Amino acid sequence: MSENNTKEQVVESIKAMKDGPRAMRMYMEMCVKCGTCASVCPVYYGKSEKRYNPAERTDLIRRIYRKHNTLSGRLFGRFAGAEDFDPADLEGWQGIFYECTGCRRCAMFCPFGIDHSVITRKGRALLDKLGMTPETMARVVKISLETGNTDGAGEAAFRAAIDFLEEEMEDEHGVEIKIPIDVKGADYFYVPPSGDVLVNPEATMGVAKVFHVLGMADNWTMSSKCFDGANYGLFTGNDGDMRADNKLYVDEAKELGTKVMLMGECGHAYRIMKMMMEKTAWWGELPFEIINCMQWTAERIKDGQLAFDKSKNQQPVTYHDPCNFGRSCGITEEPRVILEASCADFREMHPNRGDNWCCGGGGGLSAMDDIIDFRMEISGVKKLEQIRETGATYVSTACSNCKRQLTQLLEHHEEQIEVGGVHDMLSRAILVNGKAAERHEYV
Amino acid sequence: MDLVRFMLGGVLPYVAVVVFIVATAHRIYTWKRLAAPSMTLFPAPADDKANKKNVLKEALLFRSLFGGDRVLWGFAWVFHVVLLLIFVGHLRVFTNVDSILMTAGMSAEAIQAMSGGVGGAAGVVILVATVLLLARRLALPRVREITGAADILALLLIGAIIVTGNMMRFGAEHFDLALTREYFANLATFGGVTGQAALQNEVFMVHMVLAFLLIMVIPFSKILHFGGIFFTHELVRKH
Ligand code: HEM
Ligand code: SF4
Ligand code: SF4
Repeated sequence: MSENNTKEQVVESIKAMKDGPRAMRMYMEMCVKCGTCASVCPVYYGKSEKRYNPAERTDLIRRIYRKHNTLSGRLFGRFAGAEDFDPADLEGWQGIFYECTGCRRCAMFCPFGIDHSVITRKGRALLDKLGMTPETMARVVKISLETGNTDGAGEAAFRAAIDFLEEEMEDEHGVEIKIPIDVKGADYFYVPPSGDVLVNPEATMGVAKVFHVLGMADNWTMSSKCFDGANYGLFTGNDGDMRADNKLYVDEAKELGTKVMLMGECGHAYRIMKMMMEKTAWWGELPFEIINCMQWTAERIKDGQLAFDKSKNQQPVTYHDPCNFGRSCGITEEPRVILEASCADFREMHPNRGDNWCCGGGGGLSAMDDIIDFRMEISGVKKLEQIRETGATYVSTACSNCKRQLTQLLEHHEEQIEVGGVHDMLSRAILVNGKAAERHEYV
Repeated sequence: MDLVRFMLGGVLPYVAVVVFIVATAHRIYTWKRLAAPSMTLFPAPADDKANKKNVLKEALLFRSLFGGDRVLWGFAWVFHVVLLLIFVGHLRVFTNVDSILMTAGMSAEAIQAMSGGVGGAAGVVILVATVLLLARRLALPRVREITGAADILALLLIGAIIVTGNMMRFGAEHFDLALTREYFANLATFGGVTGQAALQNEVFMVHMVLAFLLIMVIPFSKILHFGGIFFTHELVRKH
């Protein structure tokens, strides 16, 4: 694309922000430059430099907006904080717009509730339109749209993984615990992140055990086509990709005749399903309900239908609220119900819930190993401190991206702290026929 | 010189007020008509009523800022509350608030004492608050690095208005309330240029011109945050 076309495309797209949605326009026109967002941002905490200042990042787009859309910007230019777009800046943008984790902590404390993640996503969308999405991210989206999952795993690999989990569970409990696949008419359709099948599969075993104990082993299913709720269209700012990926799952749920789509431990997947797709009715009215597996399990624990042997989880355990679950979906108590029921020593980190600090790998950054130094030494610094303060030796978190970031972070900083999911701890302590699992290490 | 005086004292006020009203209304209207899907942050108010209450809390108490930056919250809250107080106090210059207060049972001395006491204190407090806001803006890297000319100018303009206002109250030169009131009454009733004698007071002239300048630029500046705040919090707090 020629430079002129590039310029026109970007400028037009920024100009169009004045036509909404309201957040876009308000965020372009409403900032008093008070610096509060910087003091609550995990990235700026890690390194207090102008480049990482949220208001500055947003100003990259605001300056162009002012130049083209405001009277003061047209009249006074730079003096009124207005500057025209220079295509030479795009390369810099590729870095900068992937240095915000989209955690939305800024919006919690800004006197006007300005959510910089919205503008970060806009910046990424501009890049995506120009084919400038960073290589790692672009690859994940492509694989995901081609194969239905972000790991690019085929049906055979999925089935092999499930077989392995069933064997593991039989070893642990001495009874057969099923993980049904492609069962039409089952009420519950479990949609985990693929990581919870292929990388840290304990959570999926935990869910299977819950259904087993409840005597509902025949009433739930997984899908051999759709076993990864992760959806990177959210992260690259490409709405088309996000919807296309989402549609696969909604169609599959309809195909299966599901009554309840049971989302797994993956923050952004649940957020897209619940807070975006369902709320704004992307595909019209749905024949099924959407809940999270932690809500489901926590209810059963509160009803007294599940029992645990806490001695199986002796070590101090803390919970990291994934931003997408805590801040963006309000799922905060359910994981705590599960962890307090299954762990002997559960500890809070502070602040927590909606105020929690991001792991440093949100917004898809966790998948980008090309910026690992940034993630280890800047965006993850606050999280590391928070975890250390708890004295916990196991950090539980309900998100594959958080898990990847935290595992790398703790290893990088030479901490002997294990990272895992919520149903993982449940899986180790839940009583099946009166007995908890005979624990052995998983590979 | 008389022409300048006429333009500034007899024309600018009208222009400023009209520009303020039209531009503010226009900008708020353009915000209001946009589609606004909510992007809820939790914990969130449970229903519409709780949401409205939350917006009020944000606007009156700066609730979010209280959690984010306690020091700025202190500076900014005092600044805004005193600003409001001063705004109310200025009504006495425009209209005969005295007679209303008197029917409510206040003596002329009591009114004078209140104006002198509360008004005088307000003038000092807001000057201090403005200086603190400016100092903070220059001293803290996270604020300085995002500060543009407009941000500094806004504070300097406000500062200049405050200083000239205080000069009239505390300065040696006598400030003629009756004459000034007459001047504004004439402006308000489109009564021509009588009462322009008030403009002979140079300090008043500067104070007034800067104030109308401020009023005129508000709808084009970040100070319109007082209108936007009623939209932005809803975006992230509504279910
Ligand atoms: C309704 C809720 C309001 C909130 C939460 C709010 C919040 C703030 C904040 C956080 C600042 C930043 C201080 C700084 O760092 O410089 C500020 C500045 C300011 N506000 Fe407000 N404000 C509100 C309403 C108003 C109103 C009604 C006015 C009246 C016109 C006003 C006038 C100003 C002015 C003149 C400044 C200083 C401008 C500057 O620093 O450039 N605000 N406000
Ligand atoms: S906290 Fe809000 S108003 Fe303050 S600088 Fe950040 S975005 Fe702007
Ligand atoms: S979304 Fe998170 S990382 Fe991005 S600017 Fe806001 S606080 Fe910082």
